[in-house]
Amino acid sequence: MSAALDRRALELLPRGARLGAHDAAVFALREKRDAAGTSEPDFEPLRDHARALKAHALDHLGLLLERFEARASAAGAVVHWAEDAPALNRIVHELLDARGARRVVKSKSMLTEECGLNPYLESRGIEVIDTDLGERIVQLGHEPPSHIIMPAIHRTREDIGELFARELDVPAGETDPARLTEAARRHLRAHFLGADAAITGVNFAVAESGTVVVVTNEGNADLGMSLPKLHIACLGIEKVIPGLGDLAVLLRLLARSATGQPLSVYTSLVTGPRPGAELHVVLVDNGRTRLLADDAHRRALGCIRCGACLNTCPVYRRAGGHAYDFAIPGPIGAVLAPALGGSAERRALPLASTLCGSCSAVCPVRIDLHEQLVAWRATDLPRGRAERVGARLAAAVLARPVLYGVAGRVARGLWPALSRRWPGNPASPWLASRELPAHPGASFRTRWRAKTSAERGHERSGVGS
Amino acid sequence: MSARERILARVRAAARHSTPPPAPFVPGPRRSDFGAFAELLVAAGGEAHGPFGASELPARVADRCRSWSAGARTLASAAALARLGAGPWAPVPEHDDPHSFADVSVAILCGAFGVAENGAVGLDGREARPRALPVLCERLILLLDTSALVPDMHAALARVSGEALAHHHFTFVAGPSKTADIEGALVLGAHGPRALAVFGVVG
Repeated sequence: MSAALDRRALELLPRGARLGAHDAAVFALREKRDAAGTSEPDFEPLRDHARALKAHALDHLGLLLERFEARASAAGAVVHWAEDAPALNRIVHELLDARGARRVVKSKSMLTEECGLNPYLESRGIEVIDTDLGERIVQLGHEPPSHIIMPAIHRTREDIGELFARELDVPAGETDPARLTEAARRHLRAHFLGADAAITGVNFAVAESGTVVVVTNEGNADLGMSLPKLHIACLGIEKVIPGLGDLAVLLRLLARSATGQPLSVYTSLVTGPRPGAELHVVLVDNGRTRLLADDAHRRALGCIRCGACLNTCPVYRRAGGHAYDFAIPGPIGAVLAPALGGSAERRALPLASTLCGSCSAVCPVRIDLHEQLVAWRATDLPRGRAERVGARLAAAVLARPVLYGVAGRVARGLWPALSRRWPGNPASPWLASRELPAHPGASFRTRWRAKTSAERGHERSGVGS
Repeated sequence: MSARERILARVRAAARHSTPPPAPFVPGPRRSDFGAFAELLVAAGGEAHGPFGASELPARVADRCRSWSAGARTLASAAALARLGAGPWAPVPEHDDPHSFADVSVAILCGAFGVAENGAVGLDGREARPRALPVLCERLILLLDTSALVPDMHAALARVSGEALAHHHFTFVAGPSKTADIEGALVLGAHGPRALAVFGVVG
């Protein structure tokens, strides 16, 4: 396991009931996804189709990017290319600066989180207001989002009430989601009306028409795109798909996999600027071509950012998104982080998983996420000393049956002591919120011998079969 | 070399496969009547009214407007006015600045078509002018020909022509603006309309 992830995961635990609340809230999304999937006869065939169309799109990405650029430009958009995060940040800042834009409203974009756009702009005197309610909550709380579609899922209503009482016009002790949302609506409406520019992410880009597609439930991206005269849309190069027919397939899967809705409330197809306004589209690489060149991991670029793999992941559900310290948490984050993440800690994220395969089972484009985690583990990931020594020790013990038997006896002897909390017990952090399971008393081999000899006894006396 | 050329060169260097495109998706059979559409719209928090005949429609829409907001600013598009005639609404004024629509309480527009599988209405950029109107208004009414219902998103996107896309935006609206960002609790009216009422129209 990644030691840093362990440490950060523990931050969710001291908040008492929050661990259970987080797990329940996230898994409720998984259950909604299941219900939406089973009630839609096309759902499983759509997943097969989506997998095939994304494979095709990624194999022809160069052609699609050029076609998208040509058609978007013909419609009046200005297309920019950014090789990495600093390039994206510089391009966006220059666009804003050249027009004297000081107040920016931004809708959700995991790409700009990945690239650190907000802090870059803020350090240059530009006010960036995140307008997705969850993102505004975490922005007011000076923390990153913890989920790609539910950014504030780690916070309780009491938390948010306290935060709003401090930051917005809300009486102390308010915990009603409707009244808290109403306060945020008033607050953000003023920012929308006063904004000089809007920045949005992009869910899909359609090559045949040069269209960017932006999906929200709140309508915040639509308000941003329709009020100020400058709209900057930022997208990773992997988001480009061939045509509107492909868009239909992916839209049918996206909301069903994310929240169980048959379609999100607002799906906007934006082709060129509105009259009298500007549309700039920034295509960002930032490590994506590295993944594309990696046969084991290129399929991860098919991800449509629905969050389904987070909602089902036993590690994410209990550790929370902040534990990953990467813009995209959960299984897909752990697959992308070694290529896109930068730091050694992030490169180690594939080690922090159970390989249970639940993520692969729910992925709408059928990315083999757990296989990809295994593939990363076979590479030279930065492992901690304890992990390296532990793995070597385990390999030595597992290869020697006698030693394995001795190790089992020792472990059973130490188990009662390990199960109690005392200073110096290495299991203490685990025991803060959980119990170790009771051990079965005897080794598996002993029990197996007892079981098989009993069965043989039955067979001899004619009771068996 | 520019960033564009370097990125494209790396993309091309990584293109070692040539997976063919999948054959077009064949969706299963599905009802596409107003009842099926209405069921999904209501599930998404919207209201479905009708379908009504052309003569009955204006009074029904006027009733809904009055019950929401007596005397507040209600605007109807030219296409909507052609169906509704005179009533407690005014035509959408020609105005360059979308901010001047911030006080609109009800907007009435015509939907291009409805999608039965999800209760969404397609809103054409030529009809939704200014672009901000259907998201700035407190409540949104969409008039929808029952003959303009399609079963699913495949049929829907096949109807979004190049000409429609050429008008800057085409938006699918599936219910009122909503959020569940506070503990997953559903709240209608996050930023945009607090209510969406779709009036089916026959004939």
